[in-house]
Amino acid sequence: MPFIKKLGQYGIIIAFLAICLLLSFISPRFLTLSNWTIIITQVSINALLAFGVTFVIITGGIDLSLGSMVAVTGVVAASLAHPDTYPVVVPVMVGLLSGVLMGGLNGLIITKSKVPPFIVTLGMMTIGRGLALILSRGRPISNLSNAFNFIGGGSIFGIPLPIFILIIAFFICHILLKKTVLGRYIYAIGGNEQAAQASGIRVNKVKMAVYTICGGLAALAGILLTSRITTGQPNAGAGFELDAIAAAIIGGASTSGGTGTMTGTLIGALLIGVISNGLDLLNVTSYYQQVVMGAIIIGAVVLDSWNKNK
Amino acid sequence: MLLFALGCGQANDSEKTQSKKTIIGVTMLSMQNEFIVNVSDEIEKKANEAGVELIMVDAEHSPLKQVEQVESFIAQGVDAIIMNPCEVEASSPAVTKAVAANIPIINVNSETSAQPTAFVGSDDRESGRIAMKFIAEKLGGKGNVVMIHGYIGQAAQIKREEGAREILKDYPNLKLIAHQTAEWDRAKAMSLMENWIQSYSKDINAVFAQNDEMGMGAVKALTDAGMKDKVVVVSIDAIPDALQAVKKGTLDATVFQNAKQQGRNAIETALKIIKKEKFEKQQLIPFQLVTKQNVDGFTR
Repeated sequence: MPFIKKLGQYGIIIAFLAICLLLSFISPRFLTLSNWTIIITQVSINALLAFGVTFVIITGGIDLSLGSMVAVTGVVAASLAHPDTYPVVVPVMVGLLSGVLMGGLNGLIITKSKVPPFIVTLGMMTIGRGLALILSRGRPISNLSNAFNFIGGGSIFGIPLPIFILIIAFFICHILLKKTVLGRYIYAIGGNEQAAQASGIRVNKVKMAVYTICGGLAALAGILLTSRITTGQPNAGAGFELDAIAAAIIGGASTSGGTGTMTGTLIGALLIGVISNGLDLLNVTSYYQQVVMGAIIIGAVVLDSWNKNK
Repeated sequence: MLLFALGCGQANDSEKTQSKKTIIGVTMLSMQNEFIVNVSDEIEKKANEAGVELIMVDAEHSPLKQVEQVESFIAQGVDAIIMNPCEVEASSPAVTKAVAANIPIINVNSETSAQPTAFVGSDDRESGRIAMKFIAEKLGGKGNVVMIHGYIGQAAQIKREEGAREILKDYPNLKLIAHQTAEWDRAKAMSLMENWIQSYSKDINAVFAQNDEMGMGAVKALTDAGMKDKVVVVSIDAIPDALQAVKKGTLDATVFQNAKQQGRNAIETALKIIKKEKFEKQQLIPFQLVTKQNVDGFTR
């Protein structure tokens, strides 16, 4: 029954459109091009993290080290991005590499030790935070080159660069998940790991790939954040993992594995961004924003399980 | 070989008994905070100069941890304790316990409700007053202001807001049109400012951010929107980044809180108390407004 399966996703699209409609009535500034440019730019960092964690969640895993990986990769990139030192590709590539390594290490420990991903990535979250502080000696790293700051702060044809990065990353992740063998294996493992193993899928290799991709996307988010605020901050990204997981879950990914789409996750991230933007426009204190966000997360999951039981 | 080892052991023993080193326990709010790191660096520097042994620990924002750390200082029999309290109420038991154990305790940077032996710090209300006063004068007492809060409910947030509001009362034509928290965070403040620019656009004349991180975020958002020339931005702390921005003219002013002097006075007071010399029970270190005119005196 593909229709019922998709209802959860349509549900979130409907909820998203309804909230947008409501906000555009209340605030005349909401539905303007410049406001949407800002919303999507602000959403880009969380969306990149959410794409990464969506792969992980579909396999039935979780990654709590996202925020710390953002900090480490940001600090690594910033320390190589001072003006007149290295060309801008160096901080970007080394930053990405550091994220890939941390993600890969997550995957390695999870597959080799069989310790639950929750525990392993919880440990990595603390290790990462410590590493970021060690590498930066507890201080923000500023004075970054213009070329580096352009990544998160620059525009092409009036469109901020983070939006391009977001769109490209979305399409790559979407195709990876829907059109490739790896994508099929990811769903298969999340659906039933034993069956996937029995059918000859090399589960460990797929899991390694998934956590590595997640680390790479976290690194991209870290570089984007660092460039956007023109400083590498060791305490950046605290709590980001929860927003990213929330986006994936609102978008229909199930923590028990096997379900989830990139489109859903993108809408989940946009929904979170729209709510915080809308409530800022209306000058509502952030206390209410948190209550609303929590209610939406629970609502999305309830809707999801309701659909499944039907 | 054996003789040599014995000889060594003896030498060490006699050395220990001869010069009983002064030991001071130090617990800091969070070593992830640049300002706090500056305070503790100065404490360390002065301790080295005075030949004092320090036991420096990080409370990582946890008052419970801090109380436990002070308990262990007491158990180790340190000569004095310097505490940078995590919270007004929750860190108070640490003060009470140290006082009960007859170990002098000096609070640095922030207060506890329990009375310590001495306090070294600054009154955050004053920084809020200085910042808002600057805005009032810059705008000629008339205009729209937005305020970016730190973590709501923290002592620094409450006092900086109180100080700013005191000045607002004196200027009826200075209107606070919006205020919101960005949790001391640069990226969050930048997003908030972007959203405010959307909803108020040309109406905003000035921004007061309760710390420099958030002030820098606001500056970034305003610069990106091409509005920085028309909006006054002031923040507090005088971190190196903010000083650079004041020098460049992107940040209009910051308020300098003297981390080094707080650290220096804290350890000096501790040493005075240990040597039973006279000391000041309450030392308020004044804030200073930093603008383009005097910024060179603050960049090191």
